[in-house]
Amino acid sequence: MKTTLLITATAMSAAAFAPVLASDYPNRPIEIIVPAPAGGGTDNVARMLNQYLEQELGQAAAVLNVAGGGGAIGVNQLARSRADGYTLLSTWNSPITTVPHMQRVQYSYETLTPITSTSQSAYTLCVSPDFPADNAEELLTELQANPGRYTYGNDGVGGTMRLAAERIFDAFDITARPIPFGGAGETLQNFLGGHVDIYGGSITPVLPYVEDGQAKCLLVTSADDNDALPQASGLAALGHAELETVLWRMMLGPEGMDEARAEVIADAVARAVKHPEFQAFLADQGETLNLVRGEALRERLQQEAQAIGETLEGLGLKQH
Amino acid sequence: MFESLLNALPVALQLGSLVSLVVGTLVGILIGALPGLNPVMAIALMLPLTYGFDPVIALGLVAGIYNGSMYGGSIPAILLNIPGTPAAIATTFDGYPMTRKGQGGLALKTACWSSAIGGIVSALALMTLAPMLAKVTLAFGPSEYFWVAVFGLVSIAVLVGKEASKGMLSALLGVIIGLVGVDAISGAERYTFGTLYLVGGFELLIVLIGLYAIPPVLEMAEKPNASYFNADSFRVSAGDGGFGLIRRYWPTWARSSLTGVCVGILPGAGGNLAALLSYNEAKRRASDPDSFGTGNPVGVAAAESGNSADNASAMIPSLTLGIPGNLIAALVLGALMIHGLQPGPQLFTRSPDVVFGFMWQLLLTAMLLLLLGGMIATRLFAQILRMPTALLVPTTLVLMAIGIYTVNGNVVDLYVMLAFGMLGYLLNRLAFPLAPVVLGVLLGPMAEQNLRLSMLIYQNDWTVLFSRPISLGIVALLTAVLFSQAWRAWRSQQHS
Repeated sequence: MKTTLLITATAMSAAAFAPVLASDYPNRPIEIIVPAPAGGGTDNVARMLNQYLEQELGQAAAVLNVAGGGGAIGVNQLARSRADGYTLLSTWNSPITTVPHMQRVQYSYETLTPITSTSQSAYTLCVSPDFPADNAEELLTELQANPGRYTYGNDGVGGTMRLAAERIFDAFDITARPIPFGGAGETLQNFLGGHVDIYGGSITPVLPYVEDGQAKCLLVTSADDNDALPQASGLAALGHAELETVLWRMMLGPEGMDEARAEVIADAVARAVKHPEFQAFLADQGETLNLVRGEALRERLQQEAQAIGETLEGLGLKQH
Repeated sequence: MFESLLNALPVALQLGSLVSLVVGTLVGILIGALPGLNPVMAIALMLPLTYGFDPVIALGLVAGIYNGSMYGGSIPAILLNIPGTPAAIATTFDGYPMTRKGQGGLALKTACWSSAIGGIVSALALMTLAPMLAKVTLAFGPSEYFWVAVFGLVSIAVLVGKEASKGMLSALLGVIIGLVGVDAISGAERYTFGTLYLVGGFELLIVLIGLYAIPPVLEMAEKPNASYFNADSFRVSAGDGGFGLIRRYWPTWARSSLTGVCVGILPGAGGNLAALLSYNEAKRRASDPDSFGTGNPVGVAAAESGNSADNASAMIPSLTLGIPGNLIAALVLGALMIHGLQPGPQLFTRSPDVVFGFMWQLLLTAMLLLLLGGMIATRLFAQILRMPTALLVPTTLVLMAIGIYTVNGNVVDLYVMLAFGMLGYLLNRLAFPLAPVVLGVLLGPMAEQNLRLSMLIYQNDWTVLFSRPISLGIVALLTAVLFSQAWRAWRSQQHS
């Protein structure tokens, strides 16, 4: 009885206080850590979103670039900062779900406060016009029939694109040789120059070459097909929707951040992404909106971290 | 193509574009002149402010900051022996000795004219040859890049200092510093000693500022009361007009600009390689190679036209292929995409005014350098030397610390900078050249990664390194440099 009373009292006081806490938050500028260098894709999207987020919150939000360690250095800094809701993280998925398998870090998806995911984009596999395949099934069959013959450029060891490809190759019993480049730009350069057989990377850089016939993109790593690449199939069409690995972006807070404050930010993000200018910007980057918040977001992180851990284990890359 | 080029000229000449060019160039010179503040940062911070404007204005700012900072970097290099940007390393070799000899004004003027000429040649190459040069970019695969890195590293190690063996040891030290961090091919940690900080490796900018900027500050502090600079340094000698410079330096400018353009079309190589290779070539061709390093203005002319000629040509792979040649080119691509323009081969036909306008802007800002750099910045910055050493030393240190701290917001970077400062001081005292160290940090990993990438692609068949025509060409060049150096050394031994 006593316990029940206590719980009721706590619940009531929480219910009574939460709106108060939420209403005067934020009352001073917020710092948003971006664990990537200024000017990269993550930084561009974060700064663009930030413009509209500031309007919705009625407070200034300063972006602080803390690059290095594949994003781990910035996330470490967030994990160490005060959980008062005035230091937040705007990141892509790899520092949270991949990097902890490979390096020692001071955070985990289990402890960081999930706020909301924002947008996502798939990766694609493309081949040159004379490659003997014209759709996803033919591509996979050709790769199956020639184990170890073809090279595919990717975003490096532990890169999300490489993991996306390896998950698919594993399921279809394919051996292709990964060539770890620094990112999509370098991969594109080597693909167009004929130095590697398959382009593996984000969709936007390769799009112009699809239009003028220098590249055939046959597979995207999302479950759904992609409108920009009509020749490519999504994983659902191949009967393996569960293999989806995409690049996605989210906002997180330090451990123990007040839930009501996380809600305030998540609501503001949900309103900010409605601005048509932001939506047009996302479309140009080949990204689609994807808002998952709170515990559902933590669940998504957990599933992805587990799947990536298994893939890394299989590749012999898992260290932690 | 030439019709669209001419059509875009009015776009680049409209008021908004001109204002953004002037503002950008001034900001660029200032950013370049302050060691530690870098143009990539400045552009990344300013671009979001221009999202609401016409893309032409955003690109005008970028063009201004880009070319302005390349010249700005030479100002502290000449006046204080501190390169403001990595690309200004080669400018310190002769620029600073000129200041010590009382020719600081002439050095700044030479740097300004050389930057402008290099920038103009590069912009013209971008305007006329871009599609052709883009094909060259694609022909370079990992094995070619391996040889480019080896060529850069070896030729600079051998040619830069007085003794080739010390240069080689310096380069080796740089390569070892470059090894620290996560290996990009296997993901294994190297020399991280269990610390998280070292996982990311040493950042080039921090190594550079530490090695180059701390020792001169320490040396200045060692003689606080000495009259450190010759009073004549403040004067820009009136007798030497621009046409005098043109008559004297045009062969150097032509060679260095060509070198800069060639290095520029290779993504990842960068302005400091261009400047050092240009400097080496000028030294190799000179009738008095021993005067290089003691205040020969030809050295400044070669370095500054070389690094500025890298600028516009580094935009060639970005604009024609959508592959960024350097971090600034990546920012330009980002800016274009924010304005709904898709980089790649269709950019030239779909939005010719923006692309060709940007080319004109790069040309105009190179010309603006003569006006803004020559008339305002040079006179203003020469006054720095009037500051008493007791003020100059701490001010410089604080500015560098702020610059480095803003890169990652990590205080450990400052300690690392100081540690490299001590190393630089030691190397200076032992007469080891510093430039090969910096180049080792940059080119060592580039050589290693590309060697391993080509071994992965060709399944450990090493003959691929010698069977491709471009690789063979670079190997031939490398052999020529080594033999001519050995020949020179042998000859001078015979004479003495």
